[in-house]
Amino acid sequence: MSDEIKLLKVDENSKLFDKTGMFYKEFDSDFRQIRYYTLLIVQKAPAEIKEINLLEQQISEIIKNAVKHGNKCDIKKKVKVWYYFSTEKAHLIVEDEGEGFKELEKWNEFNKKRISCFLNQNFEEMEKYVSFRTAESDDHDSGNAMFAAVEYWNGGVVFNKKKNCIAVLKTFPKKKMGIELNGQ
Amino acid sequence: MELKVRKFSETYIIDVNGEMDLYNSYKLKELVLKMIEKKIDKYIINLENVDYIDSSGIGALIFICSHIKKVNMKLQITNIHGSVKKVIELTKLMGYFPISNTIEEAIAKIEQ
Repeated sequence: MSDEIKLLKVDENSKLFDKTGMFYKEFDSDFRQIRYYTLLIVQKAPAEIKEINLLEQQISEIIKNAVKHGNKCDIKKKVKVWYYFSTEKAHLIVEDEGEGFKELEKWNEFNKKRISCFLNQNFEEMEKYVSFRTAESDDHDSGNAMFAAVEYWNGGVVFNKKKNCIAVLKTFPKKKMGIELNGQ
Repeated sequence: MELKVRKFSETYIIDVNGEMDLYNSYKLKELVLKMIEKKIDKYIINLENVDYIDSSGIGALIFICSHIKKVNMKLQITNIHGSVKKVIELTKLMGYFPISNTIEEAIAKIEQ
């Protein structure tokens, strides 16, 4: 695992927002259906992808954020999802009708401190940084979903300018073919 | 998700069966809080039969771990594997959580 500190970025022009060739679905913001929506998306993933549970979980977190934090579970508001899977990558774009993730910079600063605790193996200090809370957080918000997301989506986690649309990319290691030479 | 509690010596083992997700992870928190009220002070959370965990499940484990540390009780989490282990690694909580490979190892750590 890399020790490089990964950030949530804002880049309206990121190539991760290119929807060419992607599938599309939209959902009502029904909290009870989040895992079902996720299954509808992830069923397009090829069977060769290892750790499909992990992919499903990571997609579910992004849809949950859109339903709950973006659209505040307002059933009339839509969550739009663009998605594409191959054996080499998983690409997802999720847009909600909310006000956007206003605390993004604060989250990056918080995560830097968390990673610093981790690198120093200072788990007492880390206690302060295990959950990112905002004024809107409730008892059911774990506040840790994006910590794993920023690590999992190794091709980037990017928001649009309004921060109500997120694009993420995961690249999978290529399957090795042939005979290994000289430990390569 | 189904929770079963068994006792070995002075340690209570909570076997979690199924998926720990946004709809059910609060149940584990509630169970441990009730057990803490009863002054039970040694816990093992056994995740052998858990193949899926999300941020709510991780949140429940953080809540329990943090609470048990504060009240000076003992906890070990055992048998993490597959995507559960991966999510804990991605969240960089491997050193934060008190993790044992097996129940036997956890009991040895708790009752030493």
